[in-house]
Amino acid sequence: MNGSQAAQFLLFTPLPQMKPENTKVELSNSPKNGSASAASGILTVSQLTARIKHAIQSAFPAAVHVVGEISNFKRHSSGHIYLTLKDQTSELAGVMWRSEAAKLKFAPNDGLEVVASGTVEVFERTGRYQLYIRKLEPRGVGALDLAFRQLREKLQKEGYFDPRHKKPLPTFPQRIVLVTSPTGAALADILRTIERRYPCVHVLVYPVRVQGDGAAAEIAAAIRTVNANAEQLGGIDVMIVGRGGGSLEDLWAFNEETVARAIFASRIPIISAVGHEVDVTIADLVADVRAATPTAAAELAVPVMDEVLDRLRSEELRVWRAVRAKVELGGTRINGVLKREPLRDGMALVRRREQLVDEWNSRAHQSLARRFHAARRVLDAVEPVVRRIAPHAYLLRTGVLLGDADHALRWAISRRLTGYKTLVADHHGRLDRVSPANRVQRLAEQVARLGASLPAALTQRMTLLNQRLSSQEALLAAVSHQNVLARGFSITRLKKGRKIVRSVAELTDRQRLVTQVSDGEFESEARNIEQMDLFE
Amino acid sequence: MTRKKLTFEEALKQLETIAEQIERGTIGLEESIDRYEEGMALVKQCRDILSKAEMKIQQLQQRADGTLETTNFKRPKEARVE
Repeated sequence: MNGSQAAQFLLFTPLPQMKPENTKVELSNSPKNGSASAASGILTVSQLTARIKHAIQSAFPAAVHVVGEISNFKRHSSGHIYLTLKDQTSELAGVMWRSEAAKLKFAPNDGLEVVASGTVEVFERTGRYQLYIRKLEPRGVGALDLAFRQLREKLQKEGYFDPRHKKPLPTFPQRIVLVTSPTGAALADILRTIERRYPCVHVLVYPVRVQGDGAAAEIAAAIRTVNANAEQLGGIDVMIVGRGGGSLEDLWAFNEETVARAIFASRIPIISAVGHEVDVTIADLVADVRAATPTAAAELAVPVMDEVLDRLRSEELRVWRAVRAKVELGGTRINGVLKREPLRDGMALVRRREQLVDEWNSRAHQSLARRFHAARRVLDAVEPVVRRIAPHAYLLRTGVLLGDADHALRWAISRRLTGYKTLVADHHGRLDRVSPANRVQRLAEQVARLGASLPAALTQRMTLLNQRLSSQEALLAAVSHQNVLARGFSITRLKKGRKIVRSVAELTDRQRLVTQVSDGEFESEARNIEQMDLFE
Repeated sequence: MTRKKLTFEEALKQLETIAEQIERGTIGLEESIDRYEEGMALVKQCRDILSKAEMKIQQLQQRADGTLETTNFKRPKEARVE
């Protein structure tokens, strides 16, 4: 139908104006048909088609701009685009070659109203005319605006802008990569800002073109390459991708899908910094953080040195305070231990034990005296009877018995006294073990150790404690059990045999004795030996 | 503890942990003092990291095999104002 309509249109209007060139076409195009056929008014299909083609080309020598709605849109695997433009009453076939189609920013699709610009030509083989589209623009909006909207919608559906994909920025970055133009104002701004705030970072500049053909591919490749080589570079904490301000066309690379995909795939957090505050690109939407300007990007990337130093100082102070509090508490505890028995008065325990021994001693004496007394009374009572009935043998036997009894008594007394002595020695031993001295020494060692690692004020305190410990030690030494003799006790021995005198019963009148006191010994003589106390 | 080179962030985090441990009192006095010394070493480490006064700037360049090399970066003159 199209063909016939076109044919009519061509036959009745433009043909007459084209005569001069027409003949040439006829001649060149129809060598076999001969002039006879032409003369008879009969045309071959080729001749007619050629005339139509010529007529159309003459009628529309320049590009036409056609408004219509896209239908039957098809992008062939070769890259060429085929479509039909239609309005309410007519349709027009259109084709866009790959070389042109590749430049399209937006995605044409059925139902989209467009302005198609190009030339009308006849495709001779099928006898159809077509619009060869050079440029396709969406109607009502700019192509770039539409492209932006289309890509935003697409990526939105794929979850590219989802907050859960946003990676947090490091608080204290060490190494930062800047993907931007090496000569742009953006780079200068970023470098200056980082240097002013936090110059201890290592900055790596990845130079790329940020506008024009191929810019998007370079930016995307840079992001991928840095990710792939992050380890080798010693770890990248954050990347800034961006450029300074410009027109929508200038910023376009940051609206391209390849950049969006590279940013989304990045394992390194990315701050986008494209243009000024008002410019929002697809890259901004996909990036982990969008900075309004390159300077703002640098401020997001690094902290302020003074604040970091403050933080460090407060942490340092916190540790110092905590340990000081702890050391003071430790000092208080040492004082507490010092106040506790037996450290406070090491002698108290010793004295208590000695008192006990003294008590036992005198009780033992009394009880023994009573027993001797009783025994003596029995003997006194028995003696006259024995004497009366006393044959020599009896006497002798009683004497033996008495001797035995005497011996047994002596032995019992001595054993008991020995027992008490052992007890006293044992108490001394135990005192040694609970060992005020040992404990004091342990504490002193601890204090010395702590003191070594503490600042002067604390060290002084420790020294004080140490001195107090030493004086306690000295006190303890002074009252040691080895000084019993010094306290007035003495040991008396028979001069002959050096046997210790434990009872007057062991003595004879004028017997020579040696008495040991704390600082030496002296000799004496036993006189007026009495057992009054015991045998009364 | 291994003496791997800590990042500033790691060192600071460790310092915080030390402060907490000492404050909480779950460790003894002697250990507290050990940890304190450790903490002061960390503070020094942090200061060393921060004290690099001059910013290091390098340029990245892709080699034929896809890896990157770092070269000196010449800073452009700052004539332009945004």
